[in-house]
Amino acid sequence: MPTRRILAALTLGALSVPSAAHAGTRIDPTGSRAVDLVHGFWTLVSEVRGSPDAGDGAQEPHPTPQALAPAPPSEPPVSLDDLSKPITMESRLRAALRPRKGGARVTVPGGTARLGDFSIGSNESVTGHLLVVQGTADVYGKLLGNLVTVEGDVVLHPGGVVSGDILTFGGEVRDEGGEIGGEVRTFRSSSVLRALVRTEPAAPSAVATVFRRVAGVVGVFLTLGALGFGLVMFGRPNLEVVSDTISHSFARSFATGLLGQLLLLPTFGMLVVGLILSVIGIVLLPFAVVVYVLLVIIAAVGGYLAVAHAMGETYTRRRLALGALIGSPNSYRYLIVGLGALAAFWMAWSIFGWVPIAGDLIRGAAILVTWLLGTAGFGAALLSRAGIRPNFAGRLIPPEALTDEYLWATPQFGVTAAKRPGSRTPTRGL
Amino acid sequence: MRRLHLAAMTLVLAAPSAAAQSMRPFSTYRQWHGETRIDARLDYAAGGLRLAAGRPSELYRMDVLYDGDRYLPVSDYDAARGGVALGLHASGQRGLRVVSKGRLRQTAAVTFSPKSDLSLDVTLGAVDGDLELGGLRLTDLALEAGASRATVRFSRPNATRCRSATLSAGAAELSVLGLGNSRCDRIAFEGGVGRVTLDFGGTWTSSSSVEVKMALGEVALRLPRQVGVRITLDKFLATFEPVGLVRRGGSYLSPGYDQAARHLDIHVTTAVGGVTVEWLSGER
Repeated sequence: MPTRRILAALTLGALSVPSAAHAGTRIDPTGSRAVDLVHGFWTLVSEVRGSPDAGDGAQEPHPTPQALAPAPPSEPPVSLDDLSKPITMESRLRAALRPRKGGARVTVPGGTARLGDFSIGSNESVTGHLLVVQGTADVYGKLLGNLVTVEGDVVLHPGGVVSGDILTFGGEVRDEGGEIGGEVRTFRSSSVLRALVRTEPAAPSAVATVFRRVAGVVGVFLTLGALGFGLVMFGRPNLEVVSDTISHSFARSFATGLLGQLLLLPTFGMLVVGLILSVIGIVLLPFAVVVYVLLVIIAAVGGYLAVAHAMGETYTRRRLALGALIGSPNSYRYLIVGLGALAAFWMAWSIFGWVPIAGDLIRGAAILVTWLLGTAGFGAALLSRAGIRPNFAGRLIPPEALTDEYLWATPQFGVTAAKRPGSRTPTRGL
Repeated sequence: MRRLHLAAMTLVLAAPSAAAQSMRPFSTYRQWHGETRIDARLDYAAGGLRLAAGRPSELYRMDVLYDGDRYLPVSDYDAARGGVALGLHASGQRGLRVVSKGRLRQTAAVTFSPKSDLSLDVTLGAVDGDLELGGLRLTDLALEAGASRATVRFSRPNATRCRSATLSAGAAELSVLGLGNSRCDRIAFEGGVGRVTLDFGGTWTSSSSVEVKMALGEVALRLPRQVGVRITLDKFLATFEPVGLVRRGGSYLSPGYDQAARHLDIHVTTAVGGVTVEWLSGER
């Protein structure tokens, strides 16, 4: 019981962290109180929402102070002349400070680069730009140039002067009474030095790729299976009508689906324009858009599931016709069998997709087959009005009329049947 | 069961840091070195924005928490012309991310020194803004709001005379409060669709002329009694209720307009919508 309470308290605490950060954004900016609030808010945001670098990365022990060796002539230098584009500067530094044999090396034209803590004494005057990596820059004297730190703070002591701009990545500027001639820019989090401790991500192995893809395919088809089971459970008659429409009018379904895809956007445009022009319809516009999108999704997914159902039913009936003993030939089974067949294409890609050329061919085939069948399913859903209209489902008489009594009392073949008044009327084409 | 708890805890604790990965805090400021004037351009694409007078020792400051995947902070001071460009620009990166929008909410706090004359040019995209301009030395104001909800306040009198304030809004909800404190000689507002509230409260030290153009929407005028108000209207399918105003020719005047020491002349042009007049509490 106490464990549960502790867990609940921890969870509440973790959930309240972001809201606490946001809570500080509301200020009443009047006078110095407002300024203090702004800075208070900022401190809170930085402490709470900063990336891991801001939290602990800056606290790592700094390396032994030393000069950074210049980079080979083949590599571009990092100019600190213009710090007005800090993101560009960050990417340049990231490239220059990437891991290499013999440690980091960087060339700063008209300046110096230092690793570890660095201090400018009160009687010192340093001319040129200064780059300090993984160290704190303490300025007691004068720096006639720009100052950039990477994962390190800048402390400007009373009397200290930096004539140019200051830019920090993964640090902060503490102005304790010094003078800064230029602009101060501070990123409290930075990814500049992540490259130093992290190697280039290796390309995933074939096994890992296969595993990831198989997991993805299984996930997608399990989701489709769950949706299909729901459809069978709550809308089997409609699913069966759409499925039968695909089986009996595949070409017509495909053509309808293709046309439907082409007309999706124009129809949507007409709907929107029509509602706007009707003035009153403007109110309904958001709902109409949502409903339209939902209907399209339902038609596409439902049609695809109906294709799976039709494939499963055809396969199962053929096996039954061949005398195979099948436990329960029902819609659930049809759906599983059909989805399994559809998944087979993608499973083949999952397993052999890494093979050059062949993998791309398999993927192309899987996409093509999925699109063909999806289009047919979408078309069947449109033709049958989501399974309401069985005109193209190959049902000559309504299923509800096929009772035992009807079949027993009504001659189906021969002269008697032909002479019967009001003989069965095909519903096809109505 | 323990494993389930552990997994749930890991997910809960990892969630904030996952969102924080793309949110970056950035600060920029410049010390005040006796600058008498600054031309500031603030271009803020999206998020929450607060603007106010800041520390006298800082010419300007911007503290922003921004979406590092989609936006770039701008901070560029031009010493030659005494101008600064601040804000957030879209980086052009697109794509779908499965992250709660609220967790990627950008916020910015921008302050300017109350010791330097300020010419302010603000462009807002999809912004929830609160701009407190009272206490600054505002000489010019240009505000352009896209799909924003913004409040511009002059809670305290402007420390210097303001030549003009030009406000424009696309599909926005804009409230400008305490225009009497703005000390602007000329105020112009141009709106597309939405609702605008122009509150002329505050301390009036001079006369002013106001031009309001609104295509489709509602204009709410909150008028003071201590100045003479004249409203001229150019409307098409708009309604106007001249509460407390007397019609003279093509204008609507407040009682005692001719005798008033300071005048507020408002010309409203609107196509579709309504213009409402409200007298400030305690003013009548």
